[in-house]
Amino acid sequence: MDPRIQAYARVLVDCVDPQPGWQVSIRSQPPGRPLIEEVARELARRGARALVRLSFDSAGGTFTRVAPMELIENPCDIELHEIANTDSYIAILAPENTRAAADIPAERLGARQAALRKPHMPFLTDQKPWVGCYFPTAAAAQDAGLPLPAFEDFLYGAVLIDWHELRDRMERIAEHFDRAETVRIVGVETDLTFSLAGRQGKVDALAANMPGGEIFYSPVEDSAEGVISYLEYPACYLEHEVGGVRLRFEGGRIVEASATSDEEFLLGALDTDEGARRLGEFGIGCNPGIQRHMRNTLFDEKMEGTIHLAIGTGFPQIGGLNESAIHWDMVKELRNGGRIELDGKVVQENGVWAL
Amino acid sequence: MGAVDPRVEQYARLLVDRSLDVQPGWQVLIRTQPAARPVIEELVRLITERRAYPVVRMNFSLFPVDEAWASEAPLELVGEIAPIDRYASDHMDARITVEAPDNTRGVAAMSAERRAAMRKATAVFLRRTMNDEIPWVGCYFPTNALAQEAGMPLPAFEDFFYGACLRDWDAESESMHRLLARFDAADSVRIVGDETDLTMSLRGRTGEVDDGHVNLPGGEFFFSPVEDSADGTILFGVPTEFNSAPVTGIRLTFRNGRVEQASADQGEDELLAALDMDDGARFIGELGIGCNEGITKPMRNTLYDEKMAGTIHIAVGASYPKVGGKNVSSLHWDIVKDLRRGGRIELDGEVVQENGTWLI
Repeated sequence: MDPRIQAYARVLVDCVDPQPGWQVSIRSQPPGRPLIEEVARELARRGARALVRLSFDSAGGTFTRVAPMELIENPCDIELHEIANTDSYIAILAPENTRAAADIPAERLGARQAALRKPHMPFLTDQKPWVGCYFPTAAAAQDAGLPLPAFEDFLYGAVLIDWHELRDRMERIAEHFDRAETVRIVGVETDLTFSLAGRQGKVDALAANMPGGEIFYSPVEDSAEGVISYLEYPACYLEHEVGGVRLRFEGGRIVEASATSDEEFLLGALDTDEGARRLGEFGIGCNPGIQRHMRNTLFDEKMEGTIHLAIGTGFPQIGGLNESAIHWDMVKELRNGGRIELDGKVVQENGVWAL
Repeated sequence: MGAVDPRVEQYARLLVDRSLDVQPGWQVLIRTQPAARPVIEELVRLITERRAYPVVRMNFSLFPVDEAWASEAPLELVGEIAPIDRYASDHMDARITVEAPDNTRGVAAMSAERRAAMRKATAVFLRRTMNDEIPWVGCYFPTNALAQEAGMPLPAFEDFFYGACLRDWDAESESMHRLLARFDAADSVRIVGDETDLTMSLRGRTGEVDDGHVNLPGGEFFFSPVEDSADGTILFGVPTEFNSAPVTGIRLTFRNGRVEQASADQGEDELLAALDMDDGARFIGELGIGCNEGITKPMRNTLYDEKMAGTIHIAVGASYPKVGGKNVSSLHWDIVKDLRRGGRIELDGEVVQENGTWLI
């Protein structure tokens, strides 16, 4: 077996830090077997329980596709009891086909998500630990445009890093942002300012995402002014890839939006609700193992030398007030002449920290 | 994936309609393994069609135990079912177990102590179905591992498997009930065959028919004989196994219901260990009569072998309280005796089956 799988399993279990006797569910798909079994063994060594729950796809498969809506909207007692009593969960996406749910109508997928959201609130609000990640399958590699061995190298490079060292480094950077009021992002066709006054950031290391490696904030909702152009990478969301997104903010609100491809989807998303036109998140990618864009937000938003801004819902646990049904992270490259300023002082230039 | 074998849908329908008769609002726990995917998808479809919830508990090993975890977890945790899984066990309205192993020797590397702990946790999950508190069915989905165990290529095994499972169960039920009535009315059963002459009493006991409900394939009727009544000797020619070790050529001699002499051509140590497991392990818990014409030769799997038409089986160990059995044991080991060549069954002295053919 690839020795990196064992190391990966240890990192994942570190993320949820199980206590003896905890019931930890492992949610995955059959191709994840080598990692699932290692995670189960690692949980065993730490005296926690492993409740392995396999499905054929992460969207609920046949059930979501054919069940009467009333069953989808009202999960059964056994499932609700399980979610409520799980101390922690480790979700390992191990897709056989990343488009396996493409034929399931959006209203069915949405109904399932909505039904599962409430019972998952203790996880979504960080009261209980969880982590989401990938196992490198051929399908995931195909989505990333890589042969499987190259994708494995990329994935393990992003997750098998010294997380304690990176956390310390990110915490030092975050102190500067915590103290600052105004952030200015300057880059290709981009000059945007917004306020972090009164907001505290969060460092993502050994937490709910693996790979982690970002510092993130919910900016003051009415503060964004200026323009940002996402010319380097497509903005990926809900299986759409929108090219050349350009957004202009006034008083925190997007007043002009355009794209060079799939503009219709962008404009539709912005019209989802009132909160969809405001920023929910400002994130700074810090993972040195991620040096290229993969069209997969989990990885892309952690890319060192980039920042990302999410339109839509903010994070209440770090002071965010914006509410929306969407949360769309868009990644902006800064290693091509871009910079970040805090209260007028340049703190990062061309992706290199100047602190 | 290509077109689904139409037999898969018929099989799923049999499980949902006949074995369980799923009702709206039920939570139907499906305990299975990934290789069963075609039938799992059909089960989910058919259960939701009946406005009931499929609760799929799929893992590489059978719920509620994960073998990878159990191989290294603290033994006291392994032996006790997880509270979440206990809740599911206590609240499910029906249970389907579809075994679809990719290796029938999955647990072989585990120590006996750990295996026992896993069995203990699993027994808690099985409790409500073993007591018939809720509808349940245990069955297989044909995989290469099962075909290999049966010594066949997969397509031939599938033909055998569906031939044994997809039968006219109403007709099978009727003919088995007719035979059962004769056994119910009799006091004494005598099994005669190769190196075999064994009698036991069914006085006061009534049997039960397995006609496609709790097992698929079904096709037997069975009794728990009077515990102290077995006398004589029986030689079992059909190979069996205990704790994954093959045991063949078992000879048992009974006196007043108890095994007094036991030997085996192969696996005698396992046989004796099983019989010494506890006080009840040397008594007969079950006499079953195989009636499934779709099963014509031993497949090294008790679930099919015990249903083979023209055979009987005796289980040493636990009997079934629901048919009046009183024997208690942790063991329930079905061992099959072929009567198709020179064997016969007598009821109160009357020959009712000879060379596997019914005379009644």
